[in-house]
Amino acid sequence: MIIDSHTHVQRVPESFWDSPPERLIALMDEAGVDKSAIMSYGGAPREAAVDYIHEVVKKFHPRLAGYANLDPREGEKAIELLRSAINDMGFDGLKLHPVAYELHPSHPQSIAILKAAGELGVPALFHCGDEDYTLPLQLACAARLVPETIMILGHMGGYFHVEDAIAVARECPNVILETSAMPYPAVIRKAVMAIGSKRVMYASDGPGCVPVLEVEKVRLAGLSEEEQHDLFFRNYMRLHTTRKGI
Amino acid sequence: MTVDAHAYCGKSIMGYGATAEEILKRCDGLSIEKAVLIPVKPRGYHLGPENTFIAETVKARSDRFTGFARVDPRLGDEALAEMERAITVLGLRGLYLNPWEETYRINESIVDPFMEKARSMNIPVMVKGGHPVVSEPSQIADLARRFPETKVIATSGGQINICGGALQDAMIMLEENKNVYMETSGIYREDFIEEMTKRIGAGRLIFGSGSPLFDADLELQRVTMAHIGEVEKKQIAGLTIKNLLSL
Repeated sequence: MIIDSHTHVQRVPESFWDSPPERLIALMDEAGVDKSAIMSYGGAPREAAVDYIHEVVKKFHPRLAGYANLDPREGEKAIELLRSAINDMGFDGLKLHPVAYELHPSHPQSIAILKAAGELGVPALFHCGDEDYTLPLQLACAARLVPETIMILGHMGGYFHVEDAIAVARECPNVILETSAMPYPAVIRKAVMAIGSKRVMYASDGPGCVPVLEVEKVRLAGLSEEEQHDLFFRNYMRLHTTRKGI
Repeated sequence: MTVDAHAYCGKSIMGYGATAEEILKRCDGLSIEKAVLIPVKPRGYHLGPENTFIAETVKARSDRFTGFARVDPRLGDEALAEMERAITVLGLRGLYLNPWEETYRINESIVDPFMEKARSMNIPVMVKGGHPVVSEPSQIADLARRFPETKVIATSGGQINICGGALQDAMIMLEENKNVYMETSGIYREDFIEEMTKRIGAGRLIFGSGSPLFDADLELQRVTMAHIGEVEKKQIAGLTIKNLLSL
């Protein structure tokens, strides 16, 4: 079984970024992925994007789950939208991409929505790459302030900050590393050796980052079968079934 | 024929490296017939001995290896003389520039004489692409635009930006400059290979592993598992570099 914890669905017609759900579903089938967490890229009005993700999740049930990609600068409105997405629409989590809204992850508005996610019992998936406001050591500033909120570091530091991401995960028990797009199978192994297989999670960042290759990347990491099961589905299920009491 | 156009050989001061034996073993395991050996920056900082080492390694297994020369443009005439020696005396087949490790902007004027010399010697220039400040795709494009008769191989398609912020610049670089070739290692978004195959044709795409910085097995699969035709895969996997270097 494979659950992909970070993918995108958003219509951007006439663009390289156009990601209709059918494209993702076909790539999931190719890679043997059972379920994917989908989210918008950002750019579209947040409320409309959440509604769209909700509709797509319903249409392709049970293959997809929703993450609400929100802007903490919208303050209480964003928090209300998160509550609605989780409680009313059945979303699985919060997505934050600070490059899109230019706010340090430890800014009070960012902390407020992270605390709300923790209270709702859902994780916050951050873009964590090589850009300002997304660097692992910057995200650590937030992680220390919200110990009750699970923070997933998507891309686990990108190309140049993977060592920092592992160090942050070592320090902060509420941090999970996620494998998408960063190109080093050996680093996945290193992360598992450093923090254990229960805090490293598979994702593709598809459809742009092709799921079949992203799955292969994890398989090249030289993990045991049990460790691979943790990365490929157990960790996601553990995160998301606890809240629902399954 | 599969050719790895980007395989580091030697022991780098940056902490990575590979021996000829390790490269051969890796190639055998992946059915790669030939590798283009790229010199590393050694502990002693001097690239000349590395060029000699690459040439000797190629000579010992010319059936499996060919090699590029590496210089530091900051050394000016001294580096131009080394380039001349490496190509004409040692028999290396292209020039490799790493503005990240040698610390210069690829479109600085100090690079110009090397581009001109590469044109006159009819050899390609491989640029370690995608590094912030020094080899962003817009900077490689600026260089390529000023030297349209010099063939430039941009590693990683000039973009290793996991935010996608360099994708558009990389497309512009490749679409506007017919003398730029895209090497595939470590590239952000595997579907970028598919997109650029459509836009510029597989004849300007080149498989390179960038190993051991990148994982050769995964890097080869970026090409073999891409959603493109078998003819195009063969072109990218080996034919483009074979044609470029007359292998």
